[in-house]
Amino acid sequence: MRLEPRPDDYEARRAHLRDLSDDDLHARFWSLVGEVVAPLVDEARTHTTPAIERSVLLRMGFSSVETKALVDQMAARGLLGEGTGRLVLELAQRQGMTVREAGVALLDGRLWEALS
Amino acid sequence: MKLLPDERLDVRAVLEDLEHYRPRRAGWTWRHHVDHHPVGPFVYEDASDDLEQSVPLPSAHWFGDIDPQGDMVVTTEIASGRFEDDLRRMRMAAWHGADHIMVIRTTGQSHIDHLIEGTPEGVGGIPVTRKQLRATRKALDAIEDEVGRPINFHSYVSGLAGPEMAVLFAEEGVNGAHQDPQYNLLYRNINLHRSFVDAAEAKAVLAHAGLLQIDGAHNANATAKQAWKVTPELLVQHAVNTAYSRAAGIPADHIALSTVPPTAPPAPKLRLDLPYAVALRDLFAGYRFRAQQNTRYIESDMREATVTHVLDTLISKLTSADIQSTITPDEGRNIPWHYNNVAAVDTARQTLAGLDGLQSMVTLAEDGPLRDEAREIKERAVLFLEEILAMGGYVEAVTAGHFIDSGHYPERAGDGIVRDPQGGAGAGTVVARAPGYGAPVCSHFGANTYAAGTDRACAAYGGCTLCDPSKVRYIDELDDVDNVEVRLAGVLEERARGLLRPEVEKAGDGVVCVTLFVPDSSAVAHAAALEMARHMNLVDPEVISQRVMHPAEGSLFEVKGVLPYAMSVADLPVPKIVLPLPHDEIEAFVRPRAIAVVAATVGEDEHSVGLQEILDIKHGGIERYGFDCLGLGTSVSLEQVLDAAVERQAQVVLVSTILTHNDIHRQNMQRLHDLAVERGLRDALILIAGGTQVTDDMALACGLDAGFGRGTTGQEVASRIVRILRAREG
Repeated sequence: MRLEPRPDDYEARRAHLRDLSDDDLHARFWSLVGEVVAPLVDEARTHTTPAIERSVLLRMGFSSVETKALVDQMAARGLLGEGTGRLVLELAQRQGMTVREAGVALLDGRLWEALS
Repeated sequence: MKLLPDERLDVRAVLEDLEHYRPRRAGWTWRHHVDHHPVGPFVYEDASDDLEQSVPLPSAHWFGDIDPQGDMVVTTEIASGRFEDDLRRMRMAAWHGADHIMVIRTTGQSHIDHLIEGTPEGVGGIPVTRKQLRATRKALDAIEDEVGRPINFHSYVSGLAGPEMAVLFAEEGVNGAHQDPQYNLLYRNINLHRSFVDAAEAKAVLAHAGLLQIDGAHNANATAKQAWKVTPELLVQHAVNTAYSRAAGIPADHIALSTVPPTAPPAPKLRLDLPYAVALRDLFAGYRFRAQQNTRYIESDMREATVTHVLDTLISKLTSADIQSTITPDEGRNIPWHYNNVAAVDTARQTLAGLDGLQSMVTLAEDGPLRDEAREIKERAVLFLEEILAMGGYVEAVTAGHFIDSGHYPERAGDGIVRDPQGGAGAGTVVARAPGYGAPVCSHFGANTYAAGTDRACAAYGGCTLCDPSKVRYIDELDDVDNVEVRLAGVLEERARGLLRPEVEKAGDGVVCVTLFVPDSSAVAHAAALEMARHMNLVDPEVISQRVMHPAEGSLFEVKGVLPYAMSVADLPVPKIVLPLPHDEIEAFVRPRAIAVVAATVGEDEHSVGLQEILDIKHGGIERYGFDCLGLGTSVSLEQVLDAAVERQAQVVLVSTILTHNDIHRQNMQRLHDLAVERGLRDALILIAGGTQVTDDMALACGLDAGFGRGTTGQEVASRIVRILRAREG
């Protein structure tokens, strides 16, 4: 679906805005922006992506090369929705390891069966 | 690392021990506004603190070499492709007043779905990597110390690796970033959902680290067929990113709107652009404004571009701007050359100085066409938003091609950009968070099991990299061919052999630009200009600008080409020009050492004025730095001078020798050295001669340590003394 060309019908469309004060017009602008953005913000609150997960593991002390390998493998196993950082941290806690040791074990192909 | 004004930046010193480098601060720094700031003979109203070192505007010569600094941050955008060359360009720009360095990324980095490492060469920009960020920030630390003002470092948090890039920026002390999911979506065709979900995380990280965020709405100006018609949509794009950024936690004063006056003359620029500038500032009160200069209508004529950019800057002064960004005047004809970054910064500096205090004298009309047209733009923007919601929301509007239509909304040309919300790069990669989803790190956006407690989210394992930077994992290089060491081997080796080539962009590129007027018709003149350049031995000549003066009488050309020649510096006849050390640096060295100086005009010579000016505090002489100076007067014998030096335990002897008949000045210098050697004093003394006919080479040939001619300042003499003493102290 592509929108069709349309002449400039500003004068007709603006009838309901004509008598608004500047302040009211500004308030209407920001209120509409809020409505436009709200569903996008909600989606972001409740979803994640490979880049977000890599950014989490980066913050947990893994290199960019390691985060990519870990997230690619976790995505292949359908685990991103659990939170890759959570999975690594909980693995470390269960195994009595540091977070780094747990991540390196996974990178070595070990302990995948022990992930929740 | 410390930079000295007379020494080139040493890239090897920048690269040394990068693994352990940590940035000295986080977040953005504004200039510090100063009220009624006196600079030289003038008082400035829109001023900030002076620089410690800079290259003033050429006309400053008439006003005591003043360099007044406006209160807007001044941006330069850098895109050479090699970060090691960028560093020198940054240093030059900083000396001309830039304090916001925006590094353009290499073509294609937006579509790489992970971070990259090392120092590969880029095209139209650099690949942003940890090593390049770290090296650049380290060099900027030294450059900001040199000029005496904080410099903000900035790049892009967009593309498929946005959240990781944001973390990288936070870890590495980057101060500002472009972040706008609409840019990914509309201009890079990255999947809509991926762009927005990633953006919230990236923005949360930017907020945590105090970076200034700049949005991407200016891209709509740059791509629109008729840029003045997209103004209603520009307001909407700014607002979508702003509201989204606020939701992700960025405070209003860290959100900067990237705004460009849409038109250029011969369009009636201010009549079109000023109402838009006013509408934007009305709607976005409380946010920051990054005023960019126009690129949409830039051609190959640098004079024309500069006039447009002056008018853009005038609009900033008539309304408001927190950052005045600059566009190089050659952007219409090539990837910017480094001296044109400086030209652009100078255009802003010159314009801002010239317009100082404008708003205290000139007010925009409160009614009439300016306000009417501003109102109309705002109403059109409200109508644009209403239609988005009528279509079902943002996703539906993008799917239908509501954005980047070339019509003056609500006029529609039907040529808007259509994006499939299930398509584009990174489509299908957005995953719903499970009920127990967790991310045990700071500055994470949205549902997170670790965010509920009272501890920091990263407490369970001792802290994330944002709390404990020692956990950051540094990778030096991944490619043993495409890296800075390999590039430097060639360039530095040639410099080490004392060879020099002209350049405009990258070290050793050899590019020159010649200007020539050819008095013939356009086509003939064009062919002739190229042939003339070949006869100048320029390789691959190319006309980069032709301006017709008259169809038959002739055209003016700028022709670039490569000079296939490296010259040997050793063969040059010109003396080495050494910049003096800064006053503070001289004083810091001299005061604690109590250095005694004995000075006299020697021989049968009654000239006293020159030496007084070198010594006296009143004349800006070396006494101001804390030298203990004894002036013996005029017509003093060389023996008396050395006697006084022994008595005073002086380290420095200054002799003035003005008369020159029978080469008496040369004989005096030679005898001073010989006498000092005879008396066993030579190694303990610094012997310096001055006089109207004295040169440094002549004094050195006579065995002295330095010689100075006409017009020498105390600062120059003191600098030389400090440098010699430093060398002797090792």
